[in-house]
Amino acid sequence: MTAPASSASTGEIDIGRLIALADVMLPAAHGMPAVSDVEAVESYLPQVLGWRDDLREPLVRAVDALDPSSFTIDRLSALHEEDEDAYVALTTSVAACYYLSPVVRELIGYPGQVAKAYDPFAYTEWVAEGLLDPVVERGPIWREAPG
Amino acid sequence: MTYRADVLIIGAGASGGVAARHLAEHGFDVVCLEQGDWPDRSAFPGTRPDWELAIRKDWAMSPNVRMRPEDYPVVHDDSDIEPLMYNAVGGSMIIYAGTWPRMLPSDFRIRTLDGVADDWPIAYRDLVPYYNAIDQQIGVSGLAGDPAYPPHDDYPLPPLPLGVAGRRVAEGHNQLGWHWWPEPNAILSAPYDGRRPCVQRGVCTSGCAEGAKASTDLTHWPKATAAGARLITGARVSRITLGSQGLATGAVWLDRSGVEHHQEADVVILAANAVGTARLLLLSADDRHCPDGLANSSGLVGRRLMMHPFSVVTGWWDDQVEGWQGHFGASITSYQFYETDPCRDFVRGAKWALSPVGGPLNHILPMRAGNEVWGSDHHVLMGQTFGRGASWAIFGEDLPEEANRVELDLDRTDSHGIPAPRVSYRISEHSRRLMAFQEERAEESLEASGCQETAVASMIPYSGWHLMGTARMGEKPANSVVNSRQQAHDVPNLYIADASVFVTSSGVNPTCTITALALRTADLLVQHRSEQKVPA
Repeated sequence: MTAPASSASTGEIDIGRLIALADVMLPAAHGMPAVSDVEAVESYLPQVLGWRDDLREPLVRAVDALDPSSFTIDRLSALHEEDEDAYVALTTSVAACYYLSPVVRELIGYPGQVAKAYDPFAYTEWVAEGLLDPVVERGPIWREAPG
Repeated sequence: MTYRADVLIIGAGASGGVAARHLAEHGFDVVCLEQGDWPDRSAFPGTRPDWELAIRKDWAMSPNVRMRPEDYPVVHDDSDIEPLMYNAVGGSMIIYAGTWPRMLPSDFRIRTLDGVADDWPIAYRDLVPYYNAIDQQIGVSGLAGDPAYPPHDDYPLPPLPLGVAGRRVAEGHNQLGWHWWPEPNAILSAPYDGRRPCVQRGVCTSGCAEGAKASTDLTHWPKATAAGARLITGARVSRITLGSQGLATGAVWLDRSGVEHHQEADVVILAANAVGTARLLLLSADDRHCPDGLANSSGLVGRRLMMHPFSVVTGWWDDQVEGWQGHFGASITSYQFYETDPCRDFVRGAKWALSPVGGPLNHILPMRAGNEVWGSDHHVLMGQTFGRGASWAIFGEDLPEEANRVELDLDRTDSHGIPAPRVSYRISEHSRRLMAFQEERAEESLEASGCQETAVASMIPYSGWHLMGTARMGEKPANSVVNSRQQAHDVPNLYIADASVFVTSSGVNPTCTITALALRTADLLVQHRSEQKVPA
């Protein structure tokens, strides 16, 4: 079962290298911050690995396999070919850390999956307004079948 | 002294729960064996920040990804679609979307009407009273009067909200002159039967923590156990036992510690889904009576597996519609291209259901429609799409083929060492033509609804929620496994309550029909109780 929101050690992962890679994957651009601008890896990787310990080992492999000094986005597809689990661990971890950041969530307008109240009888308004009338006026479209 | 039940049910999901409640409420002594546990709603991930991480591992729909103790592996190396399921009280209803369409009259007669596959030995009208009853038991939210269906009883609850996207696509279809209707959902729009209503969180397929989405752990098992049914969890059945009279005598099962037990019963009902049921029938082969598997004199056990080819067509508007929010489930549906049109190069059709798109990870690490984009373009993509989209989820009718099948894999086993099922399945050329047509029309739908961009994720492999057909119903023992009462031709006290019995797949989500059929089977057992053959 998924663990509650507990933190896990990031011990064997070279955090500096991961942040450098993450900044290439999600750089500051188009009004959005880079991963390092919101300290997403430092703040959220322990939580992410607490929830998904299965990502740890392939993430170590991904960070070891990619040289930040020469890393470009094109290298990601090569990693995908060479070691799919490492690719999935890297992209999932970086994205999860980034989009857990309240700063990033605020910027994209995402409050999380929140509960919303609604009036279950509000449908009577759009029915009265005639939204379904064209559908009803065209008549039945189901096909008669014997038996 | 060995305890012998009137009825042993194997599997506590949709069909098992419905059958258990009806039989227990009508005086049968019922025992059910379920390999999973009671779901713990406090552990459902939808209210937690790790929701989108959890659905990729511990809450994945694939048992091969989850790998919980109660799961068994499903070998699918030779399948175009990955079978998906959930093992618990409530079964795969825990992770289904909750859309609740009935099959249509033509779905039961496609040999007669379209010259393909086979007719069912029952008709739509035979199921209507059971559809009506199940709608009340489940608490379906919907709106009567859909012209895609014959008139039927109104739903017990009003429809769930259309949402901004649903409203826009409805208006788009009105412009095109195409059918749409608010989707009936097994999700409460208002309090019902002691349960709370939906709060539009959009996480239905990873378990509904509110309990608004129907699953039999909520809707049927509490009433079944109150009526005396006994439900044993953590109980993995390894085979059905057969007596000297050719009647089932019960089942052998293993507890979590691996200790073997035998549950005796007068009647055995299989309710383990079309993969699990076929697996158990094949595991129950007996050199003397049934060397090719129990109830398999036709050779059709495991064959004719249908899984509904599934495509997602997503459209994005240039403004926010809170596309992560809403029931999932569907807001609206369309049957515009469901029935056969002789002008097309295929027969039958597909049902469309409009659904939310999910949270940020689903946008950038898409499990359905979309692209992975990294670098500065990532932010452009997110800015253009996040919260601005909705998806048509399209299920095409899947015609049965005997080569699409479930067998036993003797090399791979579950945690008890029982052979795993191996699934071989190919999407046919007919299905490919059908789906290509539907995908093009769905893009037209979203463009007419004002979307600036659309994308098609065609025939997604990770989509085998709808498992059907591996023990088909029919009147002749030579070409079917069960009769119209879902009673095995070869073993008259063995019944199959799940979608294994489907003759054809229709193009709609099957759970509504699975439960209606299970209720009918249980009701006929009650009616014919005095005639039922049982072991001495």
